[in-house]
Amino acid sequence: MRRELAAWAAFLVLVAALPLSGIGSDRYLMLLANVMLMFMALALSWDVVARTGQLSLAHGAFFGLGAYTVALGHKYAALHPLLGLPLAALAGALVALALGIVTLRLRGIYFAIATLAFAEVLRTVALQLPDLTGGPVGISMPPLFDGDRVASYYLAIAIFVAALALSLGVRHSRAHYAVTAIRANETVAAVMGVNVVRTKVLTFTASAVVATLAGAFYMPFITHTDPHDAFDISRSVAALVFPIFGGLYTTAGPVLGTVVLRAFEEYLRVTPPWKEGYQVVYGAVIVIAVLFIPRGVLGLVQRYAPRAGALLGRRPRGSVPGTPSGPRS
Amino acid sequence: MEALPQTLLFGILRSGLYALSALGLAISLGVIGVVNFAHGEFVMLGAYLGFWLYVVLSGPLGLGPEVSPLVIVLGIPLSAIVLFALGRGIFRFTLRPLLGRRELDQMLLTFGLAILVQNLAVIVLSPQALDANLGWRFELLPVGPVSVTYARLAAFAVSMALVVGVYALLARSQLGKQMRAVAQNRLGAQVVGINVDRVYEIAFGLSLALAGAAGVMYVFQTQVSPFLGLATILKAFSIVVLAGLGNLFGVLWASLLLGIAEQLVSQYVPGGAALRDGLFFLIIFAVLVVRPGGLRRAHG
Repeated sequence: MRRELAAWAAFLVLVAALPLSGIGSDRYLMLLANVMLMFMALALSWDVVARTGQLSLAHGAFFGLGAYTVALGHKYAALHPLLGLPLAALAGALVALALGIVTLRLRGIYFAIATLAFAEVLRTVALQLPDLTGGPVGISMPPLFDGDRVASYYLAIAIFVAALALSLGVRHSRAHYAVTAIRANETVAAVMGVNVVRTKVLTFTASAVVATLAGAFYMPFITHTDPHDAFDISRSVAALVFPIFGGLYTTAGPVLGTVVLRAFEEYLRVTPPWKEGYQVVYGAVIVIAVLFIPRGVLGLVQRYAPRAGALLGRRPRGSVPGTPSGPRS
Repeated sequence: MEALPQTLLFGILRSGLYALSALGLAISLGVIGVVNFAHGEFVMLGAYLGFWLYVVLSGPLGLGPEVSPLVIVLGIPLSAIVLFALGRGIFRFTLRPLLGRRELDQMLLTFGLAILVQNLAVIVLSPQALDANLGWRFELLPVGPVSVTYARLAAFAVSMALVVGVYALLARSQLGKQMRAVAQNRLGAQVVGINVDRVYEIAFGLSLALAGAAGVMYVFQTQVSPFLGLATILKAFSIVVLAGLGNLFGVLWASLLLGIAEQLVSQYVPGGAALRDGLFFLIIFAVLVVRPGGLRRAHG
C-alpha cells in the first residue's frame, strides 16, 4: 500500500508540473489536460459504484446536475463558481441519496433502469422549464479565472484528487471488504453483518458527489451549456468505458483508461467516417472487454509485467468478473 | 365536448405499440433474466428495415402512397425474421458466455451493444432523420364521435394482434410452456429434459423479432433516426417495471395505463407536454417506492 501511495504522489507531482513543461502556453493542449482530469474524476467515481456490483447510468446526469447548479447559482445569486462547487456537491448528494434509497433496496436491475431513466428525465426538465434554465438555448456564465487555463487546471487537479481519495479510500479501508462482499453475493454479505443497503447508498452518494463536482468544474470552464450537452448520455458512457477498458475495481485502471481512450477520442472526433459516431468504438470496447478482457488493460499489464503492475496497485482479489456469482436473487 | 372520449381513444391506440415494444423486453427479462439495454436499438433497426421497404416499394416499383398495407404485410415478417436471426446470433456469441457471470457484466454487455448499434447507425446510415410519406399517416377515419388516422389504427391493430399471438404461443404451445418453465425455475426445467440453452436462444430471438415488428410500425408514427431507440426503451422499461419484472402478461394493461395516462396528462394538465415526456420516470419511481414487485404479483 505504501508503494502504491508513493506512486500516486509521484504521479500527482508530475501532473502538477505539466504546465511548466511549456505546454502551459498552448491553449489547446491545456484544454485537453483540463478535460482529461475532469474525465478521470468521473471515471474513478463510476468505478467506486461498480465495486458494489451496481451499474450506474446516471453519472452523466450528475455531471449535468453539477453544471446546471453552478450556472443557476451564478445566474440567480451571482454566486462565484468556486462557491458553486460546494452547492453543487450538496445538490448531488441530496439527489443521489433520494435515488439511492429508493432503488438500491432492490435488485441491481432496478437501479440500472432507474439511473438511465433519471438521466433522461433531467434533460426533459431542463428543456421544458425555459424560464428557469433557458430551455433548449441553454445557459452561459463568465469564464473561470478569466479564461486562465493553467489556473483552472489546478482546480481540475483538486477535483481529481478528491476522486482519487475516494477511490483509494474505499480500497484501503474497511469499506473495501464490505463493498467486495456485496459484489460477490449480497445475501452472504448481509449474513456476514454488512449493512448492504446502507453501504450501497453511501458509496453511490459519495461517487455522485464527485461526478457532480466534475460537472460543476466543467460549466464555468466551458462557459456555456444546454440540456442536450449537459445531460448527454455520452458522458455516462465515458464514465463507464474508461474504467472497463483500463481495469475495473482499481484506481489505476480508470485513470489509465481515460488517458488512452480520451486521446483516441480526440482523434476520432475529427476523422471521417467516425465523427459523430465515434462512440461506436466505445460500444465495441465495452463488448470486447466484458467478453474477453474483464480485468482490462491493467489486468494484462499485471499478468505479463507483474513488476510494473505492482506499482499500479494490487489486483482486485476475490470475486472478479468471470467467476460465477451466487444464485441470482 | 368530445375531448374525453377522444383522449381515451388516443391513449388506447398509443398503448398498442408500447405493448409490442415492451413485450420483447419483458421476454428477455422474464425468460432469460437479462436486461437488454439494446432493445430499443433493435426497434430502431426494424424501423429502418420498414423504411427501406417503403422506399423500394414506392421508388423502383412505383407504387403510390397506397403502399401502406404492403409495408405492413411484407415488412413485419421480413423485419421479424431478420431480427430473429440476429437475436439468436447475438445470444449465442455474446450473452450465453456471460450467463453464469454477475449481473453487472450482463448489463454492461447489452449497454455496450446499444452504444455500438446506435453509433454504427449514425456512421453507416447518417444521423439524419427520415420521414416516410405514407398516405395513411394523415388520412382520417371516423370512429363514432371522433376520428383517427389509419396509421394509428393500424399500429394499434397490428400490435395487438402480435401481442395476443405471442400470448397464445406462450400459453399453449410446447415452446411457450418450455419458456415459462425455464423462466420459473431454470434447474427444474433442465431436470425435466428441456434444452435450456436452446429455449434461451429462441426466446432472445423472439424478443428481437418483436422489436423488429414494432420498428416497422414506428415508420407510421414518427420519423426514423438512429436515436429512436433510447426514447422507445425508456417507456418500455417503465411498462415492464409497472407490470412487475418478468411478468409477461402484465405488459398489456401496463401499456394501456401508460398510454392513457400520457394522453390525459397532455390533454388536461396545463403545460402537460413536459410532464407527459417525464411520466415514464414518475411511473418507475412511484412503483419502486410503493410496490417494487409491480402492481400485480409477478409470476414470471
